Formats: sequence, C-alpha cells, structure tokens
Amino acid sequence: MKVLVAMSGGVDSSVAAALLKEAGHDVVGATLKLWGGASDSGCCSVSDVDDARRVAQLLNIDHHVFNYTEEFDRHVVAPFVADYAAGLSPNPCIECNRHIKFDLLFERAERLGFDAVATGHHAQVLPGPQGPRLVRGTDPAKDQSYVLGYLTDAQLRMLLLPIGHLHKSDVREHAQRIGLRTWDKPDSQDVCFIEASAGREAFLRSRIDLTEAELVDVNSGAVIGTTAAAELMTIGQRKGVLPDRHGEKRFVAKVELGARRVHVGRLEDIVTTAIALNQETVTFARESLTSGAKVWVQCSAHGTPLSGTLWRDDDWRIELDEPARPIAAGQSTVFYNYEEPSVVEGAAIVGR
Amino acid sequence: MHGVVGNPAGTHRAARLARRAIEEARDEIAALTAAKPGNVVFTAGGTESCTLAIAGVVRTHRRQHERSRIVISPIEHHAVLDAAAMVARQLDNVDVTTLRVDGDGVLDLSSLHEALEQPNVAVVSVMMANNETGVVQPVDAAAAMAQAAGVVSHSDVVAAAPWMDLSVVGASVDMISLCAHKLGGPVNAGALVLRRDITMDALAPGGGQEKGRRGGTVDVAAAVGLATALRLAAQDREATVRRVTALRDTLIAGVSDLGDVAVTGSAAVRLPGTVHLTFPGIASDELLFVLDEAGVCASAAAACSSGAVVASHVLDAMGMDPARARGSLRLSFGAETTSEDIAAVTALLRSAVTHLRADA
Repeated sequence: MKVLVAMSGGVDSSVAAALLKEAGHDVVGATLKLWGGASDSGCCSVSDVDDARRVAQLLNIDHHVFNYTEEFDRHVVAPFVADYAAGLSPNPCIECNRHIKFDLLFERAERLGFDAVATGHHAQVLPGPQGPRLVRGTDPAKDQSYVLGYLTDAQLRMLLLPIGHLHKSDVREHAQRIGLRTWDKPDSQDVCFIEASAGREAFLRSRIDLTEAELVDVNSGAVIGTTAAAELMTIGQRKGVLPDRHGEKRFVAKVELGARRVHVGRLEDIVTTAIALNQETVTFARESLTSGAKVWVQCSAHGTPLSGTLWRDDDWRIELDEPARPIAAGQSTVFYNYEEPSVVEGAAIVGR
Repeated sequence: MHGVVGNPAGTHRAARLARRAIEEARDEIAALTAAKPGNVVFTAGGTESCTLAIAGVVRTHRRQHERSRIVISPIEHHAVLDAAAMVARQLDNVDVTTLRVDGDGVLDLSSLHEALEQPNVAVVSVMMANNETGVVQPVDAAAAMAQAAGVVSHSDVVAAAPWMDLSVVGASVDMISLCAHKLGGPVNAGALVLRRDITMDALAPGGGQEKGRRGGTVDVAAAVGLATALRLAAQDREATVRRVTALRDTLIAGVSDLGDVAVTGSAAVRLPGTVHLTFPGIASDELLFVLDEAGVCASAAAACSSGAVVASHVLDAMGMDPARARGSLRLSFGAETTSEDIAAVTALLRSAVTHLRADA
C-alpha cells in the first residue's frame, strides 16, 4: 500500500512510519508546517522538521514538508481567538486535527494517489459490524481517541494508526532499538502556537481586548476579587478563584463578559447533569446512536468518562447520570459506546 | 590543481604554487567582470559576498562619512535582505529603505530617485536578475543614479551570471556578488568583485588576507573552481542563451492552453534559464510532489529553513494575488537541458495540472 505518514518529529509518528516500512508498505513522510509565529516546540518548529526529516532518512523513505500555515491560521488560530472573544472556551487541537490533519491532508493524500494516511496517534481503527470503528489506544495513559472523535467513516477507512496497540514504553523501546534520534523526546504539551513563557493571556491580549471583571460569589453576592481577563475564566475552573472563608474551594459558575462579572460558587452550586450540544458540530460515527441512547461521555483529552443519555429531540443534549462539574461552551465532548466503552461513537462541541 | 597544498600566504615553494593558482584565478575573474585584477575578493559564496558588500560598506561609511542608510529592492535574495536587516539591528542609526517594483517585478527607478534624495545613503543594492522570476533589472541605470548621488552601488549577480556578460552588463555597478555553483562550479565558492577601490570593514578580519577585506586562508580550489566555471560559461554563452531561450519558450507555449496559467513577469526581459508560472487553484506543494515523484526537481519560490514552501516576498512585492501565488512553480534550465527534457516536463506538467485541478 502507498501510505502517507504525518510525521511531527516526535517519537510516536517516527515509530508509526518505521512500523509501516517494516511491514513492507510504500511509505512517504510529510511534516505539516502549521504555525509561522513564535512557538516553543509543538508541531511546527524547524528542529521538529529536522527530526522528522532525519528519521525519514534513517528509514530510507521520502520526506516532504507541507505548508499549511495559512489554513492553520484560518481554521485554527483565528477561530480560537474569535471564540475567546465570544466567551467560549475552544480546543484548538481538536480543530487542527479535524480541519488540517484530517480534512485537508486526507484530501491531498487522495489527490496525490495514496491509499492510506497514517498518524502516530494512540488510538486504533478496528473492524466493526458496519465498517471500521475508532477505538481507544491500548495505553490508557496515552489514549488519544478523544482528539480523533470527529473523524468521518470515509476518513476512518483511509486511516492507519500503527502504534495504537502499543504502550508508550514499547514505542520508545522500538525507536531506541532501530536507532531513531527521537526515542527519548518528551511528549508535546499544550497548544503548539502559544509560548509557555508568555502564555495564553499574552497571546490573546496581542490580538483582542480582554475584559477586566469582578469575581462575585453566587451565594453571598459579595465581590471576592477581580480578574484581568474574564475570557480566560472557564466555567468549572478553580484556578484563579480563592476559597471561601471556610476554606471551601470555589469554582467559576458563569461568565458575563458584557456585565464584566464572573460568578463563582462551591462545587455543589455549580454541578449539573446537563450538557448542551451544538447541533451543527455533532459528528456521529454511527447513526444507530439514536435519541435516548446510553453513552459514556468524555469531556477532555484524558478526562474520566461519565455515563449519561444522549437526547436528539428539540434540544440536543446529554443528561448525565450523576451531577458533574459543568463543561464550558466551546469544549469538545466525545461519546463512547455504553456496552463497549473503548469504541468512539461520535463527538460534538458543547453549546451554550 | 593537483599537488597545490600550500597556504598561499606562506613563504615556501608550496605556498608560491598556491598563491600563483589564486592570482591566476583572480586575474581571470577580473577580466571577465570588468574589474581591475586586484579587486576580486574571494569568499565562501554569494551569501557571504552580499553580506560583505552591505555590512562592510555600511560599517565603514557610517563611521567615516555619517552615511548609514541601506537602499534595497524588495525582490532581493535573502542574502541581501537579511544582511541589511542584520546591520540595521546591530548598529545605531542604520536604516533600510525598500524600493518598489512594478507588476512585472521590474525595479521602479522613480522610487530609487526618491530614496537617493535622502542625504545619508551609504549603499544601494539591486540584483541583476531575480532568482525566482528571472526578471532582469535595470542595474546600470540604478548604478548611474547612485554614482550621481555619491553612493556605492552593489548588485547580486548570482542568478544572472550564467546568462549575461558581466564585463558589459552592469559594468558600471561598483560591486557585484558572484558564486560558482550557479555556474556549474563548486558550492561554497564565491567572490565580491569591486570595480573601484572601496573601503570596507571585513566581516572576519583574521590575518588581513584579501587586502584586509576578508580574513582567513583563501581556498585555492574554490578560487580556481569559480574562475573555471565563469570562463566555461562565457565560452558558448551566445549560442547557449539562444538555445535555452527557445527551449523556455517552447515549454511556455506547451502549457499556455491549460487555462488560467500565467508567466510571471511576462512583459519583462527574463533570464533564459528560469520560468516562473502560476496555476491558481493548485497548491504548489502538490504540484512539486507530483513532479518530484516523476524525477523532476523544481521549486515554488524559495524554501524556508524548515523546508516548507513559503509565501514569496518577491511575488508579494509585485502585488500578486496570494491565491495565485499559492499555485507557483519555478522551473530552471541549464546549458545541458535538451528539447527531450522540455517535452517530458511539458507532458508531465499538463497531466499533473489537469489531474490536480479536477480533484481540487
């Protein structure tokens, strides 16, 4: 098979390419240049491209650099900034996977005559009764099925995930055994286009006006503090909110940008069983997921799945079995099969 | 070259042999570039030559004459752009004025006229022909204007050198930067050729070699390689230019009916060996991929340090629509290119463009 491997320069995609080559496929590596601005490392720096290119040389496969900086700006960075300005809490990695890695790269791979696209994600594509299904990676600590929740059936049919059945330690061992320079490279962290030293706030502040706001206790109505950037206060977050006078933790309950007010409360004040879904962003892996179906819902990359019921009537939503911290609008939820909790059923962005 | 191992700066027999090889190369290069024999400074290539020309002159002129402005065209190679930016960043009171080009990528001489009205210009740099588009620039006119204003002129002739007689074209420019590999010679071999005595600070003064303009032991093989490449290019130049121009035009004619294809700088005089085409609706990355798989080494604009195809500052300066610029393809030919090569590339390009457009 002729396979295009998306190589980030990290150990996972390096080993993915190596395994495909060892299996006898006609493998070509491609590194996506996504961000033209300053960054720590992430997916876009010159040294990562150098790593990917050197790994490709060692594997004796061709390597190309595809420039998607403009598309990345349009599909990922601009919506990221706009979402914050609109009071949402976006997840740019999800958007990048969806629009760049899976839409644009898959289309390009097809045009260029590839049979399949491979990535180094820790997840698996396994045969199911109605075609291929996306399944959690074997290593529970590294599972990345959450960020792949928006893949369509057609994309799953063209996708190879060569390391999804391996534990991270096995991946590193394999890399070391075949002499890849990336074998002990640290895992990438956080958003690739934001420098850790400057942070999200500095990144946003250079692009939009951030709102100073008061923090108000939902019970007493007392002003307990201020924030320099209400846009960065996410519903459910505890960071930046002082405990009350009894030492009880307080969380963000509601953000009102217009009124310059952030409501905070104790856990019992904010927990909810309802997650509203944005209908336009719902992607179902299987249409059998009908209204009233029981699902497991995961709300962050490595969050604990919560059980609930998916409703697809007038207001699309998930009703959780147990109250949980609320999920901010703009975040992604991924649904897993109730009977087979490792199988992805679909995904949606949380609405208001 | 065999057996020449001495340090040319030494006093022994081996040194004399090395020195002689260098001086013969220097004489030959001077004769082919309208320079006095002593005024050829050997460097490690075009980038170093351009950097020496810009930084060396500005440092001296800023100190001695309070002239500290660098005037450059917007379509210069990064060898010049980045040298100018570096000096402006490192030294107080050094500023860069960037000129304008028209829609065909030809220097707008009125913008040079305006720039030279500023009192503190130290150096003007306009390339002889652009490396991406092949568009030839009015360097003699620019040099005359600089001279009238008492300003040192420089031209990066790297792209033009295989195709133009440097003893005639641009002969009035004060300094030209050359490299051997574009002429079929070795890489890391170049020279800064001076047409008159110009004082400049060395970038690395070292042991005062090259009349204090470039420290370090001169690379004998590189110097001889550059002289030889320049001589060979001059030998059959007229016939080669005629033949390659015809090949270039055959290729253009062979793709012109593909629909919405344009030759960049089509109304300007262009080098025979470069053709820059745009195919809106196709990503350069994909076109290059298909050509590469078929064994054709082409490029889009210039490669950035990551190896990605990046938006071209040259096309941007020409005011080209970014959507058109994204579908760029630059093909280069040399003296060895045959009509069979052109026919094969034309056929490949036709099928690639049709296929990639149909699927887009």
